[in-house]
Parts: sequence; structure tokens; C-alpha cells
Amino acid sequence: MKKMWIVTLTTYLRQVKSWSFVILVLSPFIMLLVSFGVGFVSANSATDSNDIAVIAKQPTLRKGYIQVAGKDNVATKLTTVKAARHALKENDISGYVILSQGKQYGAVYHGKEAMSASDKTQLTGYLSKLQTQTNVAQAKLSRQQLKQLSVQPAFKQVVQKREGLVKIARMVSFWILVFMVYMILTTYSSITAQEIASEKGTKVMEMVFSSTTASKYFCGKILGVLMVIATQLLVYLIGGWTSLVAAKRMNMAKPFFEQYGSLVDQVVHNLVNVNLLFLFLGVIVYTILAAFSGALVSKAEDASKAAYPAVYLSMIAFFATFPFQNNADALLVKIMSYVPFFSSYFMPLRIINQSAGPVEIGISLAVLIITIFGLTWYISSIYKGLILQADESNFWHRLRRGLAYK
Amino acid sequence: MLKIEHLSKQFGDLQALNDVTYNVKKGEILGLIGQNGAGKSTTFHSILSFIHYDGQISWDDQPINERVFDQIGYLPEERSLMPKMTVEQQILYLARLKGKSAKQIKPAIDQWMKRFEVKGKKTDKIKSLSKGNQQKVQLICTLIHRPSLIILDEPFSGLDPVNVDILEQAILNAKKEGAAIIFSSHDMGNVEALCDELVMMRQGKMVLHGEIRAIRDKFGKNEIFVTTDWSTAALSQLPHVAEVTELSHNRYRLRVDDPAAGKQIFQQLSNGEYIEEFSQQPPTLDEIFRMKAGDPR
Repeated sequence: MKKMWIVTLTTYLRQVKSWSFVILVLSPFIMLLVSFGVGFVSANSATDSNDIAVIAKQPTLRKGYIQVAGKDNVATKLTTVKAARHALKENDISGYVILSQGKQYGAVYHGKEAMSASDKTQLTGYLSKLQTQTNVAQAKLSRQQLKQLSVQPAFKQVVQKREGLVKIARMVSFWILVFMVYMILTTYSSITAQEIASEKGTKVMEMVFSSTTASKYFCGKILGVLMVIATQLLVYLIGGWTSLVAAKRMNMAKPFFEQYGSLVDQVVHNLVNVNLLFLFLGVIVYTILAAFSGALVSKAEDASKAAYPAVYLSMIAFFATFPFQNNADALLVKIMSYVPFFSSYFMPLRIINQSAGPVEIGISLAVLIITIFGLTWYISSIYKGLILQADESNFWHRLRRGLAYK
Repeated sequence: MLKIEHLSKQFGDLQALNDVTYNVKKGEILGLIGQNGAGKSTTFHSILSFIHYDGQISWDDQPINERVFDQIGYLPEERSLMPKMTVEQQILYLARLKGKSAKQIKPAIDQWMKRFEVKGKKTDKIKSLSKGNQQKVQLICTLIHRPSLIILDEPFSGLDPVNVDILEQAILNAKKEGAAIIFSSHDMGNVEALCDELVMMRQGKMVLHGEIRAIRDKFGKNEIFVTTDWSTAALSQLPHVAEVTELSHNRYRLRVDDPAAGKQIFQQLSNGEYIEEFSQQPPTLDEIFRMKAGDPR
């Protein structure tokens, strides 16, 4: 076990210390930061020119509106028509409004374009309220009459939000999940296959096999790669969670979460459950296949071709899920959800669409786990034969020779 | 003791090893010689269980498996290491796989690099070293865990004379420490200088086995080296001289069909006077190799 651990640790450290791994892990967060940054900068740079100036002879009238509209939306420093006109000319504000007070409240807007709808609503609402107060005062109405006049029509919305939300959440979860599985599988299949193929037929492997058994070495390698994958997933989980919590607290993202908060929660729930286990086990089974195909290349120089079988199989499974994203009850989906190499795509599809119960999930997991152990045992037993042979014979000859090594 | 008994290996129609039996005792060096394809590397691969074989191989009466791997130091025929690792990482990795801790090995690395005159630092990447220095690092990896069974496949190939001396010294040191050493070589000079015993192989069969002096003597002292002003024609008239070869000016090798004729030839050549050189020798290992290991055709 100690020697296997040495191989595991060496494989793990070599991978995680490489720049390609650091970039691979950090790239989604960098992209997230960049997109947030761009959003923030454009929002900030847009702020000034979107402001309006409010001019009024009566300071209380002006102050009242600023309170209603919020200081962030009003160029508060501009208090005279002259200054406001100059600011408009310089494009520092989008317009200015002159408020007047008398028996009738009035507002005149000056701008290069029409006043924005939201500003207009805010302004008319504010002035209407003041006008009503003035009207009531002038009409000398009794309390009862006043109460009567303030009765408003009732309007309520009842939307079947839940049903629609669940459907959207399922679709979003499905796409995120299959892309995650596909990306991770493709990346690590290539890494594993190349890692193993680069050792093919090299004499240093003879030194290694004079020190430990081929099966321990093989298991150590696979475990090392799995630890790398687990590290990446862990970073994604922690980073994703932190980003989500941080985003929820950001003012900029508040409207988004107010509107889509429950959708986001639903998607997170769909991803962080047994589906994650299917993803991880799927990566393991493909990693073993990639290691096997890596050991089957004719020589170390062919390492780049080594990942093809695993990558192509993963691609087939990936594309095969597309027609069924809204039809998780199809027979083919049910069959494929038990077939190793395909189940990592198809069972999560069924789980997201709630078409698989705990027993079916359990059976699929059991088949996948048995396959993983069976393949590991078998390949590790012929691994020495596969890795020590270096000849120019064709693929089938090499495969036959490798399989015959017992 | 390494015991090889009735070792045979067949690859398809090719009989790579055919009933090979010999031992290598602790504190002894055995040289394995033979032409390419004679079965030397196949023997090593069998000892290390890289291939399946017929017969028995044991170390200290135990089959060679993971339990004895830690006692083995193996240098493969071609040189290769992990190019992206540093010298220190490579040595530590392989030593740890031999059951040694980093704590035990780390302090010894500098000393071994100095002993083998490796040009480079232990923090250098393997790929940045010259081929010769990579070869030395590989040798350090083979020996640093102080194995008691050392298997070296063509260790001298590609080494310059200075590095041959360093390697010879390292092998003799390991012998002094009690290791059993088996190595293959095409260079009979190295074999003669180092080995206590040799095994000569031809097409998977053992054609000679024993102590080097005894093997040479077995062929009889049928070569006489002389330095004389006699002509080739005159020398070939001497009794029992079958062949005369001029090696350099006035220096000849006489091949005789009866080693006992040496005394008579000496008397005739010297005629009771001083003679610069007269040396009766058994055939050299090189000559025995040409005779025995060559293609029987």
C-alpha cells in the first residue's frame, strides 16, 4: 500500500503543480470575475450620463423628489438651470427637469432624448401625490370623504410559477450537468491516456516494475488522477458556493436574484446531489478506459492519439442524451441509464426529470461501481504486459498480446 | 544467492532461453556475454518477473516477488528517466519505491553525485542534463538504496573511458559490500577486469560457464606472442606452428597445435640468447567469444 501511495502522491503532485492544471481550475472563476468586472464598470460608467438634474425654486419640492428617486439617480450638485444646461451639453447628465409649485404642480423636462419611462413614472407619481394633497386641502373634505376618495381598485396576480420554474430548472440543470461531465471526462481522459502512454515501452518503467507490482503502480496512477479530479471538483464546489453567496449579497445582482433566485436554488439542488456521484464515478470509469487505451499505444511518441477511444465514447454518450432532454421516460434512456460509460449521462438526466426512483438509482450505481472494480482488477493484472511491450505491430496485435499476458 | 535453474523461454517459434542454469553468490560478480539476441536481456527480464518463463529463479531461496524487490538494483539496457522531474525528485521517487525514506536518501544524494562526477545540480531537470550525466543519475538510482542483488544490462555501453573507470569502481565497491552482481557486456575487457565468473550464451543456450581463468586455460595455451627479427616464413617452419600473424613490426602471434611445443619453440627461437618477448597464453576472452558465441554457420 505504501508504494501505491508513493505513485499516487507523485502523480497527483506532478499534475496539480502544473500550470495547465492551475489554469484549468481557475479559468471559470477568472471568466466569472471578468464578466462581473465588465458589468460593474459599464454600470458605473453609465451612471453619470443616466442621471438627471432636478431644479426647483422651492428647495423642499426638489428635496422631496430626490428622496423619492434616490440620490444615485439624481445629479444632486446641479441646482441651477445654467449649470444643468451646461452639464447636459457635456453629456454628464441625460436631462434636467424644472419643477414648479402653485395651485397646480408642474414639471418641464429638457433632454437630448425623451425622459426614461421609469423616471417619468417616478416623477408623475411624486407630483400626483403632492397635487392630491393640495387638492384635498383646498376642497376642505371631511375625514370620511377623504377616506372614501382614497379607496383604490384591487389588483392581484396568481401565476403558476412553480410548474414553469421546475421545468426551466430541469433544463438548465441538464445542460450544466452534461457539459460538466463531458468537459471533465474529455480533459481527464486525455491527461490520463497521455500520462500512461508517455511511459509506454520506456526503460524507466522497467526500473519501476523492479520495485513494485504493476497492479499497485496502475492503481496508484488511477488514484492520483482521481485525486486531481476530486481537487478540481472541490475547488469548483467551494468556489461556486462562495461566488453564489457573494453574488447574492451584491447590489448589482440583487434584481437578478429577486427574479431568478428560486431557479438558481433549484438548479444547485439538482446538481449537488447524487448526480455529483454519477459524475465522479463516470469520470473514474472513463479514466480507467483512458489508461487502458494509453497503455495500448505502440510507443510513447503516440501519446497524443491515446485518448481517442475514451474521448469518442464520451462524445457518443454526450450527444446521445440530446434528443432525450425532455423525454427522460423513453425506453432507450432507461436502458442506457444502467450501461456503464453511458449511465453517467443518462441516469442524471432521469434523476433531474424525476423519472428514476431510489432503487433504480441504486442499481445503476452498483453496476457502475462493480464495473469500476472489475475493470481495475483486470487491467492491473495485464498492465505489465501492456506497458513493457513496445513494438510497431498493429493495434489488434498489441491488444491480443496484452490480453494474453497473464 | 541468486539461483537460476533450468530457465527456458519461448517467444512464438523463437527459443529465447534454453535450459539455462547457474548461480551468483553474494560478494561475486558474474558477467553475461553473448551476441545480440543471445538471451541476455531475456534472462534479466525473467529474473525480474517481467515475463513468464519455465524453470526456477530464486534469491536467497525465495521466489523473486515484491518481497525481494527492495533488495534489487536494476539498470536497464537503454537509458531513460522521467524528463520533467528534477535529479533529486527522480532519485527520491525510485528510492522510495525501493522502500527507503526520503530522510534516508536525501543526505546521500550529494555524495553520490560527487562520486559519479555528475555535471549538474540536484535541482536541475533531468531533461536539462547531457546524455552521459542522465546515465550517471540512472546508475545512482540503481545503487543508492544499497541493493544486495545488482542487475546491470549493458552498463558500459556509451560510456567514455573515464566514466567506465568510475562505474567499475562502483561495481567493485558494491561487491566489497557483499552484493551479488550480474551484468551483461559486449566488452570483454570489462568482463575480464571485473568478473569472478562468466556465462557465455548463444541463441538462448549457455555455451560456457565458469571462472574466467579456468575457461581460458581450458582452451589450452596455444598462443605464443614473440618479438623477434625472424621472418614470417621462418616462424611458420617452427615445430607445431599452425598459423603466424604479424601484430606489429617484429611482433608476432604464433598459434600452435600443441601447447607442449612451447618449450621447443622457445629454445629454437632464443638459441640460448636474450629474447625481447616470449609469452605463451591461452586465447583471450575476445577470441573465445568469437569462437564460441559466433554464428555456428
